[in-house]
Order: sequence, then C-alpha cells, then structure tokens
Amino acid sequence: MIFGYLDPGSGSLLLQAVIGGATGLAVAVKALRHRYRFGRAMKAADPNNGEAAETVEDTALPAES
Amino acid sequence: MQSPDPGSFRDPASRIVLNEGRVLRVLDERGLEGWRALSASDFFASAVADRRLIDTSEVSEPPPTGAGALEHPRLPFISYPYEWTFSMLKDAALLQLDLLKDALAAGLTIKDATPYNIQFVYGRPMFIDIGSFEAYRVGEPWIGYRQFTRQFLFPLMLRAWLDVPFQPWLRGDMEGPTPIQMARLLGSKKRLNAGALLHVRLQARMEARMSGRPVRDDLRSAGFSVELILANVKRLRSLVTSLEWAGRKDGWSDYGSCTHVSRDRDAKSEFLQSAIQRSRPRRVLDLGANDGHFSMIAADSGAHVVAVDSDEAVLDDLYRRSAGMGVSIALTDLANPSPAQGWAGTERSSIVDRAQPDFVIAYGLIHHLIYQASIPPREVLNWLRGFGAPVVVEFVSPSDEMVARLVGNKLPHELHPDRDETAFRTLASELFEVVDESSLSSGTRVLFALLPR
Repeated sequence: MIFGYLDPGSGSLLLQAVIGGATGLAVAVKALRHRYRFGRAMKAADPNNGEAAETVEDTALPAES
Repeated sequence: MQSPDPGSFRDPASRIVLNEGRVLRVLDERGLEGWRALSASDFFASAVADRRLIDTSEVSEPPPTGAGALEHPRLPFISYPYEWTFSMLKDAALLQLDLLKDALAAGLTIKDATPYNIQFVYGRPMFIDIGSFEAYRVGEPWIGYRQFTRQFLFPLMLRAWLDVPFQPWLRGDMEGPTPIQMARLLGSKKRLNAGALLHVRLQARMEARMSGRPVRDDLRSAGFSVELILANVKRLRSLVTSLEWAGRKDGWSDYGSCTHVSRDRDAKSEFLQSAIQRSRPRRVLDLGANDGHFSMIAADSGAHVVAVDSDEAVLDDLYRRSAGMGVSIALTDLANPSPAQGWAGTERSSIVDRAQPDFVIAYGLIHHLIYQASIPPREVLNWLRGFGAPVVVEFVSPSDEMVARLVGNKLPHELHPDRDETAFRTLASELFEVVDESSLSSGTRVLFALLPR
C-alpha cells in the first residue's frame, strides 16, 4: 500500500461508494461485509478479546443512514 | 542560494524551492513518477494551454537532494483562500473538480484537494501544484474528497446558505470546518437538500462511526471503480454551481454613488497618473481599493496591482471584472491584516510580506483607520512609511461629511490628537518628502504624493 500524506478519513472514503447510487451502495455493503467477516475471524482467534464484538458492530453502517 | 518555500512541505514527494528568483519543484522518486505520468498525457498539454495548469518544464540538472526537478514561472502575488471572495473560492472549487474529472479520464488523479494549490493569475484561477498529480490506481477512492468538502464546499455553504463569511474561519482554522462541525452549523437548515444530506450530515455520521479504521483495501476488493468518483464529482459540480451568495449591499458596496466620490474621482485619477509617471512602479499596493477604479489605472500603466479591501461585495464585483487584468485581489481588514501563521509561524506569510510594493495607493483610507479603528494618525503614517515606497495618500479633515458619519457618537476628547491638516503635514514631513499635493473640490480633502525620507 502506498501512503498519501493526507488522511482521507475512513467515513469519507466509504461515503464515496454510498453516493454512487445502486452500484456504489453494493460496493459499500460488500466492503463492510468483508470487514465484518474479518472482524469475526479476529475475535474467534482471540478468545480473550471480549470487546471485539462491539467494535465489529460499530463498523456497520447504521440502517437509517 | 537555495531556500525551501516555508509553505510547501506537507507532501514529501514534491517541495518548492526558491533559487535566486527561480521557482523550482524538487521531486523524490514517487514525485518524479507522478510527473512522468502527467507530462506524457494530452491532458497536461491542453490544461497548460488553456491556463488551467501552471507552465512547467523539467530542469536538466536536478539538485542533489531530489530525483528530479521542475521549474515554474514566478507568480506576481500569492493569495490565500481566507483572502478570497465568494466567487473566487467558487471558481477555484469548479476548477479543482474539472481538473480531477479530466485527469481521471487520462488515467491520472489529484491526490489532494486544497485551495492552496490554486492561485489567481490575471483574474483567473490556475492550479499550481503539479506534484498533486499521480497515476490513478484501480480501485482507489478519491483521497481528497474530505479535504474538498472542508476547504471548498463547506466554506461556500457557509456564505450561500447561512450568509456567514467563510474567511474568518479559514484564517483561524486553515483546514476548514469538519463535517461534524458543519452539520452543527447547519442545524435544521437545508433538511431536504441532497447535497447537505450526503456531504454534510451523512459524512459527519460516517466520520463519527468509522474514525481511524482503514478501509481503502476493503473498498478496492469490493470493486470500487473510477465511475464512482466521476459520479461524485458530477454531483459536487452541480451542487457548487447551485451555491450563490446574494452579495448584500452593505458597508461600502455603494461607495461609488456617494456624492464626494464621483465629484473627486477625476481629480484623484489625474493626481495618481502623475505620481505613477514619476515613479514608474512595477508592483502597486492599493490599500482600500474599493471598486478598483484606481487599481485599474495603475494596472493600465503596466504595473501589477494588489487590490486590498475589507468589503467582500465590492471585491467580488472587482474580481468578476478583472479577467485579463494585472490585478490581484486580497480581502483583508487593514486594521487586522492577514498575519504570518501556520507551522512554525512561517507556513503562510503576512500580506505585507507578500505584497512587497514599490508604490502604495492610500486613497479614502486613513480616516477609516483613524476614526473607525481608532489608530493614532502618527501610527498610520509610520505604517505607510514602513512599505519603503512612494505613497499617494488622501488626507480627510475632521470637518468632512464622511468623517462625521464615522465619528458617530464619539466625543472629540475620545479621539486621538493630531487629526487636523496642520498636524498631518507635520507628521508626514518627518517621514516623507512631499513631492506633490492637490486640494479636492470638496474643500475637506487633500491629496499628497509622498516619497520616503
């Protein structure tokens, strides 16, 4: 990964997919689902991390947005 | 002697260096790669040809510190977004979006979106940061989107939707309002506006939820495409285009219609023309430029003029009339001019340091400083002397009708001494040689052409 000097803001990056109509929304959902699965796998691998579930939930877009 | 520009350090791939009057851009390996991609494109040639991009040539012998170097022409005056009027920031925003769209079509992208990368040259916005271009990598979102909203879109919304000037905010916080701050500022306004909903409220919400969690790889593997950026740019373009400032006619916007102004204007023009013929200036600073009448006279003589005023409406109107003219516009209050600020206090320099005039116009100005801003007459003259250049100044006596308006409810003993013509002459002759003078028909105003002693 090549780093830019500017912090683009994670929410602002995801929003760009959301703005792009149906296609973009599908990309956003897919990106978040990927993150969700990744988070669950991390939690499974680390049984001591009791807070992981809450952290993972937070990454999902709120339905009313 | 080579010196790095104190305002150009954030991007490690590309830095501006000033070298004996030349403006060089020193690139590292990544910066050089970006330049190769840009310079090989048709987009670059056409954007330079229509003056949307600054002229750029490669330096054959790069400095030892870099992988390569470029050279740009030196611009007559650098202005900052907090010195721009509404229309200037709007035109700059549209340029940023149009260049991004055209760059993407050429397989390139612009890695940031800050108005500091744009300057006004002959009354038109020009993109100057060649180092911002790089090859577009498939699946990458627009990295500069959030910055675009904070530094272009939200400031324009402030003026267009809330009639709040954006300049004090951008001067105080050069990054611009965050989406969360902008959502709070909007409150319940523009509830049904799609632009407010997406770029302000939804962005604020997602920022609060997602802070600090890397998502670029997730977006790429989810199939993010350049079409999504183009769709966003198209939406933003129509949103920016829709933003208008009614430009309320307050303050001095109707100055030209004041009786004393039209009566004395011709005499002031002639006096200025004589002074310009004597000094033949190259860089003129017009303090309290108002509608730019005298700036235009100085520009017609071949000088470059920086027109300074604190009235956004008149300067916005002047900007719209200045295309093709050698007039730069700077909105600032001369009782509190743009300071040196930013990192180490040197990233952005003060307006006085940037102007470097060899001739100063101070018509219709000093009574505002003395009576409105309560600056002692001696301080005002010392400040004018500080430019080290010839000055044409309009003295306005305490009995002038405009002074009466400015004094308002202040009692005589609450004002500074040395306000009358005799005191002015004494103070002026301590610091300057009076080379010409002319009383205006109003009988309460005298023009002086002063040479610093």
